[in-house]
Amino acid sequence: MRGGTRAPDLHERIATAAWGCAAGSSADEFPAASLFQFQAKRIPPYAAYLEYLGVDAAHMVDWHNIPLVPASAFKSHDLSAAPPEVDGRPGSPGVVFETSGTTVSRPGRVRLGDTRLYEASLLRSFERHLLPDGARLRAVVFGPSRDEAPRSSLWFMVDRVVREFAPDPDTAPRVMRDGEPRWDLADEALARAEAAREPLLLLGTTLFFMAYFERLATLGRSFVLPAGSRAMDTGGAKGLRAEFAREAVASAFEHSLGIPATHLVNEYGMAELGSQFYDDALLAHQEGRAPKAGKQIPPWVRTRVLDPETMEEVADGERGLLVHYDLANLEIPLAIQTEDIGSRTGDRLHLEGRLLGSEPRGCSLTFERFLAEKPA
Amino acid sequence: MSDPTAIDAFYLPAWLAVGMETTVQRFGPAHDSMELRLPVVTPNDLQRWIEALRQARAERLVQRSTASILRSLDRVTTRFLDPRDLARRSAIAALERAGRFSAPMVERALDDAFAPLARGGLRKWLVSELGSASALDRPSSVGGALRAAHGPEWMLQVYAGNVPTVSIWPLLIAPLLKSALLAKTSSQEPILAPLLARTIAEVDPEIGECLAVVWWKGGAAELDRAALADAQAVLAFGGDVAMASIARQAPHGTPLVLHGPKLSIGYIGRHALTRGALPKLAARAALDVALYDQQGCLSPHAYYVERRGAVSPVDFAAALGEALESVARTLPRREPTATESAAIQMERAQARFSAGAADDRARASTGAGASRGGVFASRGGTHWTVVCENGARFEPGPAHRSVRVHAIESPEEFERAIAPDARYVEALALEEAGPRRAALAARFAAIGLPRIAAVGALQRPSPLSTHGGVRRLLPFVTWTTVESAKAPAARPPRPAKSPAKSPAKAPASRSSASGSRRRSR
Repeated sequence: MRGGTRAPDLHERIATAAWGCAAGSSADEFPAASLFQFQAKRIPPYAAYLEYLGVDAAHMVDWHNIPLVPASAFKSHDLSAAPPEVDGRPGSPGVVFETSGTTVSRPGRVRLGDTRLYEASLLRSFERHLLPDGARLRAVVFGPSRDEAPRSSLWFMVDRVVREFAPDPDTAPRVMRDGEPRWDLADEALARAEAAREPLLLLGTTLFFMAYFERLATLGRSFVLPAGSRAMDTGGAKGLRAEFAREAVASAFEHSLGIPATHLVNEYGMAELGSQFYDDALLAHQEGRAPKAGKQIPPWVRTRVLDPETMEEVADGERGLLVHYDLANLEIPLAIQTEDIGSRTGDRLHLEGRLLGSEPRGCSLTFERFLAEKPA
Repeated sequence: MSDPTAIDAFYLPAWLAVGMETTVQRFGPAHDSMELRLPVVTPNDLQRWIEALRQARAERLVQRSTASILRSLDRVTTRFLDPRDLARRSAIAALERAGRFSAPMVERALDDAFAPLARGGLRKWLVSELGSASALDRPSSVGGALRAAHGPEWMLQVYAGNVPTVSIWPLLIAPLLKSALLAKTSSQEPILAPLLARTIAEVDPEIGECLAVVWWKGGAAELDRAALADAQAVLAFGGDVAMASIARQAPHGTPLVLHGPKLSIGYIGRHALTRGALPKLAARAALDVALYDQQGCLSPHAYYVERRGAVSPVDFAAALGEALESVARTLPRREPTATESAAIQMERAQARFSAGAADDRARASTGAGASRGGVFASRGGTHWTVVCENGARFEPGPAHRSVRVHAIESPEEFERAIAPDARYVEALALEEAGPRRAALAARFAAIGLPRIAAVGALQRPSPLSTHGGVRRLLPFVTWTTVESAKAPAARPPRPAKSPAKSPAKAPASRSSASGSRRRSR
């Protein structure tokens, strides 16, 4: 049989796949079958599920037929091909991320014994969308260090890109310390960069950036960072607070830091996916064109949009429920069903935020708050 | 409602509405939205209105007899139950257009809310709590003592929009207690409460002078502050954050009844699980699930079904699915949003995954050959979903007619799962045959579940019962006790001779200190 117990080597594919071909569907363009066959053998609950479905992994040819795993299943099952000693305890190999963001009570666990493929994916996407000019900039992290947030895939990713691309990875300020914002560290780093006319790379959650800008506004302070400075912001605390309108975020970056909309790049990711999706504002600026709407689907990811009522695939451009097939998911199932709503045009992904300002619904409700206050 | 394109989604007495600024907002589904006229509310307006309402209450409501107030409210009740009456027809038309519930569902909701108040129901409600229908008029014999009851001068009520009729009984509490009312509607359902207030004003202009029902954006700090600054009593529905904010801002000593997030559940004992009883039992359960598409706190999210009955929990789940399919013909479901459907699909996918990939723990506890659970689901859409699961746990489902059936061994298993979260349960629908039902009810009452109802009756509470574990009127009532003219002699107490002197046991003897703060959650 093909595939088998050895992991397929997708490193080369992720390192070299040409951008802009994420719509390609053939097995050659998207070799998910061998990865699926590996996972069907090595992820025990997935194997049991496939058996229950009567799916014969060995003869899976078309990636469209790979059974999806609901993102919530990471909360109920150990969905990993990593050996059991990858358990997240101090000194254990690999990494263990916790999932969040769906409406099931416990956080899920994503165990990765080997993060090389994941790192290859995140570095390539980040470099293309944040550093298309080849810049190597000092970094300021609007969040915690990796040591402080060992269960977070986001801070793992941020730490990894800082180590890869920043000239000063160890001294790059982390503005969150011991769970508290240390705005003074941000003030200091920004003032220094402003004075030294040295562009910066800022990385953090939208919420955290906005909290900092609110504080700057209260103090009547602002910075004008040198040209070439840029920022990556990401959703963070999804669902618990109304997400900010994009224009408001862009204008706050411009007013508070002097970072124009061309140099602000929004990222979308989830712990259950090894790959991320980025705006192309900065890439478009670099290429001297208008930015495209939506986010880039990396060429090693396929995203399908399903009618949430019927689960049938909808036409390009129509909205629905998003499911992703990610070749960077080596040790966790590559086919993931999310609760996110959006649409796709070609290799662009358009995400819909939750309803802005939607009221909690009184005595019945969605229970997100209820779940949020329950101990994990 | 002469202008079908813009509905007044507020009620203010005519003389307060003079010169008031309004704005028109679109509301309802995109393809058939309607325009609602809403007042532009400022903190100054609220202060002015509250003052005017208090004055109107002092001049027109306080001296009214309870009997005359009941007569007017009875007429209002009759109007909302009369299919030809304009008030009822306007309510159905507007709520249907708002798009959250189908017309049959709205009709059902109005019937369920008003029918228990008709034919003397309002008077019974009052007597059941105050002990006498004249207690608010003069010192009356209440449980053997002479007592006069007092409603608050005015009440602030904050409504949620999840179920269309959730505002009806609360709104009526104010005139029943001779209190003025400032009510804030929800942006999800700003229609029915103003319509009810307007109908009351049509029937009884004096009461109408004491009511104001408006909308402002939840969390608008200055407006909330102005409404709460001098609130004499507060009855509110909403999420945890809103409830906490009210509790923080209300004046010290103000009686508060705050209904936070809750849901309901069901328990089916093994003696009730017979082949013959199954179809009707499933139909009653399906009605509870289907009504209001599980948007209300009386909506069941899960049934805990005992094993070892003549039919199994899986059989019950299958029958419940069939019943949900057929109830949709008379009570169609409102089309959920994409996000809501996605949540149902996630629930279904998770259940299928768990059924197929039963983890080692589940296998060990159910043993070989035991049912691994599964999913019964409507075809071609999310119209209904029944997820079968082994073992008890407590977790809200995605609603919109999706429910879990937990196969359980014993009431102990149920209690272990529910007790830690009992404060989130509004009601339990309990079905069991013979004397065991009473025994189970006693056990489940002991873990603090506030209401235990029959399957099929969850969505029809009685005004005589409790809501969120508290009575509906009593938390807002203070009392004057008039003692006899003769001072008791100063000597050691002796056993009472006449039963009239023994402490009353009627619920009306529970006097509620004005300083009490109640949070029903």
